[in-house]
Amino acid sequence: MAGDTGSLVVDAFQAELGASEPWPDDVVLYQQYQAEQITFPDYANCLSVKTFLYMCGLDFRVEVRTNAEEMSPSGKVPFIHVGAFLVSELDPIIAFVNSRGFQLTAKLADAERSEMRAYMAMIENILVNAELYLITKPRYGCPYPWPLSSILPLRKQSEIQARLASNSWKDKTLSEVCEEVRTCCQALSERLDQQKYFFGDKPTELDALVFGHLFTLLTTSLPEGHFAEIIQQFSNLTAFCKRIDEQYFKQN
Amino acid sequence: MAGGDDTMELHVWKGDWGLPSVDPNCLAVLAYCKFSGVPLDVKVTGNPWRSPTGELPNLRHNEVSETKVHNIFSYLRKQNWGSDFELSTKQCADVVAFSSMLEEKLLPALLHLWWIDGRTYVDFTRPWYTRMIPFPLNFFVPGRKQKAASLRVFLTKGGENITDSDVETKIYKEAKECLNLLSYKLGDQDFMFGRQPSSLDALVFGYLAPILKAPLPSNQLQTHLRQCDNLCNMCNKILQQFFPPNRAELEEKRRREEAARRAGVPMDDTEFPNKRRNMILAAVFAVTAMVGYAFMSGLINFQMLDYAPSGPQQSADKNNSSESGSKPNPPDFSASGFDPMFEEQNTESGE
Repeated sequence: MAGDTGSLVVDAFQAELGASEPWPDDVVLYQQYQAEQITFPDYANCLSVKTFLYMCGLDFRVEVRTNAEEMSPSGKVPFIHVGAFLVSELDPIIAFVNSRGFQLTAKLADAERSEMRAYMAMIENILVNAELYLITKPRYGCPYPWPLSSILPLRKQSEIQARLASNSWKDKTLSEVCEEVRTCCQALSERLDQQKYFFGDKPTELDALVFGHLFTLLTTSLPEGHFAEIIQQFSNLTAFCKRIDEQYFKQN
Repeated sequence: MAGGDDTMELHVWKGDWGLPSVDPNCLAVLAYCKFSGVPLDVKVTGNPWRSPTGELPNLRHNEVSETKVHNIFSYLRKQNWGSDFELSTKQCADVVAFSSMLEEKLLPALLHLWWIDGRTYVDFTRPWYTRMIPFPLNFFVPGRKQKAASLRVFLTKGGENITDSDVETKIYKEAKECLNLLSYKLGDQDFMFGRQPSSLDALVFGYLAPILKAPLPSNQLQTHLRQCDNLCNMCNKILQQFFPPNRAELEEKRRREEAARRAGVPMDDTEFPNKRRNMILAAVFAVTAMVGYAFMSGLINFQMLDYAPSGPQQSADKNNSSESGSKPNPPDFSASGFDPMFEEQNTESGE
C-alpha cells in the first residue's frame, strides 16, 4: 500500500486507510532552492502549502533539494513526506491533511465550500497562468553545472510554452494578461471585503492559496508585467497579505 | 452580409439531439444572447472556416468580429446587452470565480470524454463531425480538434511522472466534484443568482447540456449529472424556455421518424441521407478507375481500323466470318471501335 505512491498523486483516498495515525513528528516538506532555482508559480505553491500547514497548526521541516522536482511523485513541487506517504501539490495535500482529522472548512455550509473551491480554481486558472506567462528562465538552471545549466532552463521553457499554447494563453498580449490579473484581484477583493479572512474569522485553504500567490507577486520584482502594482491598488488584499505574513511567518 | 445595424450575426456549430448547438461555447453564447434579448441572426454551420480565426462561435456586428466567449460577452456588455447588470459586485466576483472553475475542472473532462476516450471518439465524435463538416475539411478538422484537446488535457493536467490513466482518473474526479459544487451553489433556486439568469447560467448551461443530451456510448459524467436533479432541471428549463423547438423543426423530425418507421429501416439510414447516391457514385468511380487502369496497362487495347468503303470492308467481313464462324454477318458498328470488349475479342481472335 505504502509503496504505491503513483496513485496517491491523484487520489488521496488511499491515505484515509492510515487516517487513525496521529500526525508524526518528522514531516518533511521538500522544495527547490528558494532564491536561486525555483520558478515563480512553484514558489507560490510552496508558500501556499506552508501557510496551509501552519494554519492547521501542524509541524513540519523544510528540506531544500535541487532535484526536488524529480523526487516528487507527480513531478511537481512541493511535496510532503509523512510516514509512509508522499503527497504532492496543494489539493492532494489538503485532502490528505483533512483525512487525518485536521479540517479548516468544517464549519462552512455547502454553498460556501463550493464558493471556496471556485475561488481556488480561479487562482489556479488565472494567477498561475499569468505567472507562467512571465517565465524566469535564467534562474532555473543556476544550481546545476555548465551544460545542464543551459539545457534544463530551455527544456523547462519549452514545456511551459507548450502548456500555455494549449490553453491559448500564449496568444494573449502582456496587457491582456495584466487585465486578467486585475479581474482576478478585483473578484478577490470584493469577496474579502473588510473581513479578516475570506470566510469570516477562521482561515481556510483559500486564504492559504491566495496568500501564497499574492505575497509572491508582491515581494518579487519582475522585469516586466507590473503585477505588484495591480495588487497594490486593492488595499484590503495587501493588508490581508501583511496580516497573514505576520501571524504565521514572523512568529515561526 | 449583416442584417441591419442592430442585428448581430452569430455563427455557431450545428445542433443535434434537441440542442441548438453541440459546442459548449456556442451554447453559452446563444444562451447569453437569449437571456439578454439580443437581436440575433443565428447561422448554424458545419464549416469552421466561416469564421476568420477558424473557431466558432463567431459574432459579427458592424465590422467587429469576436470569437472567444469571454470577448463576445464583454463586447455585448459594451453594447449594453447583458444579463448581469442586476448582480451585486460580490455576485459578479462569484461569476468570475465559478467560470474559472468550469474551465479549470469541468472542461478537461469534457474534452477527454468527447475527443480522447478512444471508443467515443471513433464511434461517435469523429463520425458526427465528419458528417457535419463539408467535404475537404472533414478529413482533417476532427483530427486537429482532437490533437488540440489532448494537448489541452495532458499538458495542463499531466506531468512527467503521471500516466495517462492517472490523469484520466484525476480529471473525472475533479469534474464530478465540480458538478457537486455547482449543485450546492444552485441549491433550490431557479438560477445561480435567484430568479434571473446570468452569464454564469449561460456558461453552466453550455457545459452541461451536451453532457446531458448527447447519446455517447459511455458517459460517466452523464450518470453523475443525472443525480444532481437541480442542475438537470435548470438545463431543461433553459432549453424549454429559451430554445423552444420551432414548428418547422418539429414537423421535420416527426416526418422523418414517420418515414423511418414506415420504411422499417433503422435510424442509421436517416442519419446518412445520401447513402444510396453515395454508393452508386462510389461504384461508378471504382469501375471507371478499373477500366482506366486496364487501358493504361494494356490489358485492353483499342485498335482503330480504317475501312475503305468497298474492298477492305468485304475482306474484313470475310476474315471475321471465316474465323469466328458463328456470326455470318456482323453489324457495321463493330468495326468502328464502338464496343471495346467486342474489339478486344476481335484483335485476339485476329492473332
